[in-house]
Amino acid sequence: MNCERCQELISDLVDGSLSREDATALNLHFGECLGCMDVRNDLEAVVSFCRTNRGQYEAPPNERALWLRIRNTIEVADNANVKSTQEKRAGGLSGFLGRSWQLSFPQLAASVAAIVLIVSLGTVVGLRRIDSRGVENTTPTVSQAKFNLNDRKWQQQQTISYWNTRVATNRARWSPQMRDTFDRNLNVIDQALNDSLNELNKNPHDEVSEEMLNAAMNEKIALLKEFSELE
Amino acid sequence: MKISLFGAGAPRRRGSARLMLAVLLVFCCTSIATVYSQQHVSKRYPTGKNVRLELKNIQGTITVESWDRDEIKVSATMESPSAHFTPRLVGGGLSIDVMSDNRGRGDVGDVNFTIQVPVTTSVDVETRRGDIHVSNIRSGSVRARVSSDGDIDLTGISASQVSASNTSGDILFDGDFARGGTYEFSSGHGAINIRIPGDSAFRLVAATTSKKIALGHFWNNSFQSFGGGRKYVGDVGDGRSSVSVTTLSGSISFIRR
Repeated sequence: MNCERCQELISDLVDGSLSREDATALNLHFGECLGCMDVRNDLEAVVSFCRTNRGQYEAPPNERALWLRIRNTIEVADNANVKSTQEKRAGGLSGFLGRSWQLSFPQLAASVAAIVLIVSLGTVVGLRRIDSRGVENTTPTVSQAKFNLNDRKWQQQQTISYWNTRVATNRARWSPQMRDTFDRNLNVIDQALNDSLNELNKNPHDEVSEEMLNAAMNEKIALLKEFSELE
Repeated sequence: MKISLFGAGAPRRRGSARLMLAVLLVFCCTSIATVYSQQHVSKRYPTGKNVRLELKNIQGTITVESWDRDEIKVSATMESPSAHFTPRLVGGGLSIDVMSDNRGRGDVGDVNFTIQVPVTTSVDVETRRGDIHVSNIRSGSVRARVSSDGDIDLTGISASQVSASNTSGDILFDGDFARGGTYEFSSGHGAINIRIPGDSAFRLVAATTSKKIALGHFWNNSFQSFGGGRKYVGDVGDGRSSVSVTTLSGSISFIRR
């Protein structure tokens, strides 16, 4: 099931009008997709609040008059802001442009020197900023990548935690042989996970260890998910 | 007058006889119980040639083999407590879902399946625990999955998509790689052996932390090694099919047929 289909069905799930088959498929999807699980939790919270507080909230008296007052207040505030801005602009610009400019030669030379100095300073500062922006641009990329990695790691941990909970709920019904099998296989995968993590600690740029770590993590999720279906 | 059948040493011999009788009785009861604790079912389902078989087992072996009839024969031996299952003919295929059919029943015994199918059947079988054998299939796809312990043998397979995975146990593929086909084999803690014709052409990605990767006849200079021999990537021939082999801690071997 994909997220789009899932979110179409969440409302029915919360209302309790979904078929058992669809509900099972949805719950499986929630185990894999934390985004959809959040949507379900939010919707459940909203519906639950509405059910609990049904009929307890009242409309304000003369609702239309209240909205008119709010709109008028906003319009008045906007008009005042626009007027003051226009006045300021008109005063500054008209004063500057309307002024008569008569300069002596030393004044002219000093003005040119000042302009050259300001432009030079502006260029230097600008170039420095461009350089520093280059650094700034790379910094968020690295931190973004780190964030994504942490986010992904967190999601995997959440998924494992979810399936672990389901396994813990159901494993009491399994035969001792099945429990042994599960534990033994989980140990095999955990061992592989630890080996890969140790290798990555020694060499953080070891791509093969990273691939094996991902493979082991996926294998662990698959094992937990498949055994959690044993009820 | 008392007449003794056992003579002078009667009490001792009588005790031995009773003991033997008891052992015999226990043996008979155990044998009868064993016979009656297993149930056997067998049924045939008429199908076309290009059909699909889907089987989700909980525990027990699965054997799928081809025959020259346009029907599927399902034979199963169920150990106590017996699992229930109802095969369903769905859209030209047969689906058996032991998992769903026994949901909420807790512990059920092994179900050992032997299934005969038309040679062009697409096979998709899985079990939580137990071996899987699939032989002599020439179809679009073959998928075999063991969640935990169990060997997987795929022999005489010619399919464009093959997938085999388990956690503990060996995997054997003995078949052909079709042009443009995709082949994925993965194991947690088992050896993966691939037996194919010498003129096979494929692109290979093989990885294991054990560094035991033996490409044999298929080794060539195009192969690149990564991670100190833990991963090899390269083309054999024109690399027309894609082969991925991963075992977390086992060995990988390619054998020429």
